[in-house]
Amino acid sequence: MLDTKKVGSVMIVGGGVTGMQAALDLADSGYYVYLVEKSGAIGGAMAQLDKTFPTNDCSM
Amino acid sequence: MTLSEVTAVTGIAGDFDVTVKESPRYVDVDKCIACGACTDKCPKKVDSEYEAGTGKRKAIYVKYAQAVPLKYQIDPDSCIRLKKPGACGFCEKVCDADAINFDDTEKIHQINVGAVVLAPGFEAYDPTDAKVWGYGVNPNVITAMQLERYLSASGPTEGHLVRPSDGKPASKVAFLQCIGSRDENLCGNGYCSSVCCMYAIKEAVIAKDHVPGLQTTIFYMDMRTHGKDFDLYLERAKEESGVRFVRCRVNGVETDGAGGDLRLSYVNEDGRQIEEFYDVVVLSVGLQTPKHVLELAKNADIKLTADKFAATSDFSPVQTSREGIFTCGAIAGPKDIPQSVVEGSAAAAAVADLLAPARFEFTAEPSFPTEKDVSKEEPRIGVFVCHCGSNIAGVVDVEAVEEYASTLPDVVYVERNLFSCSQDTQDMIAKRIQEQNLNRIVIAACTPRTHEPLFRETLKAAGLNEYLVEMANIRNHNSWVHGATPDMATVKAKDLVRMAAAKVTYGDSLKPIGVSITQKGLVIGGGVAGLTSALNLAEQGFEVHLVERTETLGGNAMNLKHTWSGEHVVTQVTKLIERVLAHDKVIVHKEFSVTHVSGFVGNFISTITGKDGTTKVIEHGAGIVATGGDEYTPKEYNYDSITKVVTSVQFDKLFELKEKHVKQSRKFVFIQCVGSREGDSMYCSKVCCTHSVQSAIALKKENSERSVYILYRDMRTYAQREALYKEARQLGVIFINYELHGKPKVTENGSVIDVEVWDHVLHRPLKIAADMVILATAIRPKEDAAELGKLYKVPVDGHGFFQEAHAKLRPVDFSTDGMFVAGLAHYPKPIEESVAQALAASARAATLLSKKSISLDAIKATVDEDYCDGCALCVDVCPYHAITLVDKVGADGADGKIIVVNKAQCKGCGLCQGTCPKRGVYVAGFTMQQISAQIQAALAV
Amino acid sequence: MSFEPKIVAFCCNWCSYAAADLAGTARMQYPHNVRIIRVMCSGMVHPEFVMDALAQGADGVMVLG
Repeated sequence: MLDTKKVGSVMIVGGGVTGMQAALDLADSGYYVYLVEKSGAIGGAMAQLDKTFPTNDCSM
Repeated sequence: MTLSEVTAVTGIAGDFDVTVKESPRYVDVDKCIACGACTDKCPKKVDSEYEAGTGKRKAIYVKYAQAVPLKYQIDPDSCIRLKKPGACGFCEKVCDADAINFDDTEKIHQINVGAVVLAPGFEAYDPTDAKVWGYGVNPNVITAMQLERYLSASGPTEGHLVRPSDGKPASKVAFLQCIGSRDENLCGNGYCSSVCCMYAIKEAVIAKDHVPGLQTTIFYMDMRTHGKDFDLYLERAKEESGVRFVRCRVNGVETDGAGGDLRLSYVNEDGRQIEEFYDVVVLSVGLQTPKHVLELAKNADIKLTADKFAATSDFSPVQTSREGIFTCGAIAGPKDIPQSVVEGSAAAAAVADLLAPARFEFTAEPSFPTEKDVSKEEPRIGVFVCHCGSNIAGVVDVEAVEEYASTLPDVVYVERNLFSCSQDTQDMIAKRIQEQNLNRIVIAACTPRTHEPLFRETLKAAGLNEYLVEMANIRNHNSWVHGATPDMATVKAKDLVRMAAAKVTYGDSLKPIGVSITQKGLVIGGGVAGLTSALNLAEQGFEVHLVERTETLGGNAMNLKHTWSGEHVVTQVTKLIERVLAHDKVIVHKEFSVTHVSGFVGNFISTITGKDGTTKVIEHGAGIVATGGDEYTPKEYNYDSITKVVTSVQFDKLFELKEKHVKQSRKFVFIQCVGSREGDSMYCSKVCCTHSVQSAIALKKENSERSVYILYRDMRTYAQREALYKEARQLGVIFINYELHGKPKVTENGSVIDVEVWDHVLHRPLKIAADMVILATAIRPKEDAAELGKLYKVPVDGHGFFQEAHAKLRPVDFSTDGMFVAGLAHYPKPIEESVAQALAASARAATLLSKKSISLDAIKATVDEDYCDGCALCVDVCPYHAITLVDKVGADGADGKIIVVNKAQCKGCGLCQGTCPKRGVYVAGFTMQQISAQIQAALAV
Repeated sequence: MSFEPKIVAFCCNWCSYAAADLAGTARMQYPHNVRIIRVMCSGMVHPEFVMDALAQGADGVMVLG
């Protein structure tokens, strides 16, 4: 692996809460990130929820 | 990149070529201002995916009000124009921005990247085809996602829970669990979806909050509330909210009469056939991998499990079968939000490990125009009043607010915006700042807690100091809470704008505080979590100090045999230890513990003390707490006095060594929840059900003649572990349910151990003459966790586990910047979750360690040298120990004292400001003058 | 006209101000008489502010944190 080329960018497939977290952490630590989302907006399933357990925090 | 899908991945780890297909949006995102005129005119209505079919959307739409990007799109499957050229086209006619483009086409992009992370998520099981639950037949049978939308204030009924059939308020709601989960007959999904028990409880509790007197019943098989604080939530739902729980599988749902009522029939715990009637039946649908994700997995050429989730190893839970391609979230098995977020960070850590040499290859620091010096200028305030769609404008008379704002002193420009936070409005505000030469900005919109950072960026982009903006919260604190009195809400909005203008008038340009970072990590604890964190940080290129209290690395894992998926733990952990020891960037300190800590984010100084009393001082920029947990030593079930009553870990050893008694024994009884889920330990230890089931399988496989009983309260073989539970049942392991009030009794009776328990199937007491009793003991927090917590100023929860910053969104961060948590120190969990959390902690730490310096918020205590007389009252009240008293020679030459503030430690709380009798210290951005001005403005009318 | 008190509330950014935000998110309705001043901690509220507010005509002052 030592001699192989390493490209400093990453593609993240899926713009839900998981993909967004991965994207933020990578962008924050020095990588160029492509976030690819199938639908018209990021947010994923969590944006559909009203509240979250176990704290009843607003999901949005 | 939205509306985009990956269609091919070629190349190797470090150098992939990815083909992305971008579907046409038919709306130019650069032109669309999201005014919504197109949607108003669009004649075509279809079911909204976002509302899970409970509401409608148009053919041209935004996914939801807060969507990012907030840009409209046309659904080609329902758009009249796109289906029939020449027809309709209303949206194009009304679009002032000229953003509609019916000729938009699909685009193919080729993108060169070093790694790919798959986080495509899940879909909810569709119960339509199963028929037995009446879904799709009776409108009052809904899915849990639909209930979320009904309960949501932004949903189709604005949070009112009504029967979909006739709009009548609901009075009795039933939740049916395991719909599309743990059921191979109807849906083929044998696994447990892990999240449905908790979401059903949450929905039942919230629904009861919405509708006073509402009766809610949850029909379940096993209550799987295995996460942190979940059992407490369950108990509160039972005791405080009065949610009813019935253990049974409901056979079917039938429509009763023409009124839309629903009839459920089930067999209760006493064996009686019961019929009950409900207004609404909620199906707690499971999670499954959607078709397009299976397609994606094929395109990315990664392996899947039998349950159609991405195959991963328990020791590298985000690594797929193809090197350089990682997964996180529900694609690798059903999981809840915190675990998904953890995996998101963990995938980032794994990518950073792979691509460490290429860090900073393509990134550039954002550049901003030179800041204008406004200190000599008279205030020129610009006020921007946000409609927030109809959120504000639907209640508050925004035109009146606009008109009023223009009459305020120093206000030279006022404007209204549909959404002040949208990108185009941001650009527009920046333009106005320059055009109108504004030097103070008031944004009358929502809460600064979420949106102030955005507007600060806007100011920066316009060459204005970012602290010269003040928000008037006319949504959360006004239009949303005074909907019934719009006139008074308008009056209040004017007041809030006046207050904000008064405060910003006295605003100063502030400079963020730069803090240099020691680019080294400290990991406390040498178990699986600590080892994983340390190794990952080292692989990312950072020097790491690993502190372990004992003389050996490996921690609790060294006592375990196999992970749930069958990987041999000790072999894997030994490999991990070898890699850590061999790594030149990891410095291991065995038999050392942390004894003193000073410093702050980026600049911690930890003193560690060895068993022999030697001390070392370690400077580090970030720290990871991975101190693990302990096995509970049982006091119950005569563990003390009967030698053949052993704990799970002890049993594993005896079994492995083929100890004679174990070898010869014919009857084994496992007792679950020993020390968990009762009294002060109201939490689930998460691993014990799976552990006992694995042991039981091993016993049965070794000798099928043996009788093996597992006495449990709820079998919590969550997610794909359910396959083990099934295997155990098939092998003839007998599962007997007991309740907390009827715990088994264990007594010695000659050569056997009598175990008495109530048989839930036969409905009579049962006595088992066991040869051996195995207690599934709890995981306890380390007794001295709180002491370590005090050193780093990080809290522990009521049970003694470390408390993360946010249960959902910051699951590995502490509220103290620069400190992170992983593994059992946070909560009981199996190895793959510890590993994921450890990787996540490393990723989070790396966001700091990868930088030479960070800038901190400028809202900090500032000393006014003219007034501070060195009385030092503030020194003691400062909770962050940021203030020190130093000598000072006064203007008259006399010796005196004065305070100095360490801005990196200061959190800007202002306790000093509230304490100071001389106005000698103030918090920048919240000065005495600014707050006084606000008070005056609040009471001015 | 009925008595309409004027109340000044000092709310901590991290708890009570956030709670007031959430009250909005949850659309909880409450009387409009309160004017919230955001502070970074209730400890920041100098006793002078309370006296100031009362002197300038506030009928009540709340310090929430």
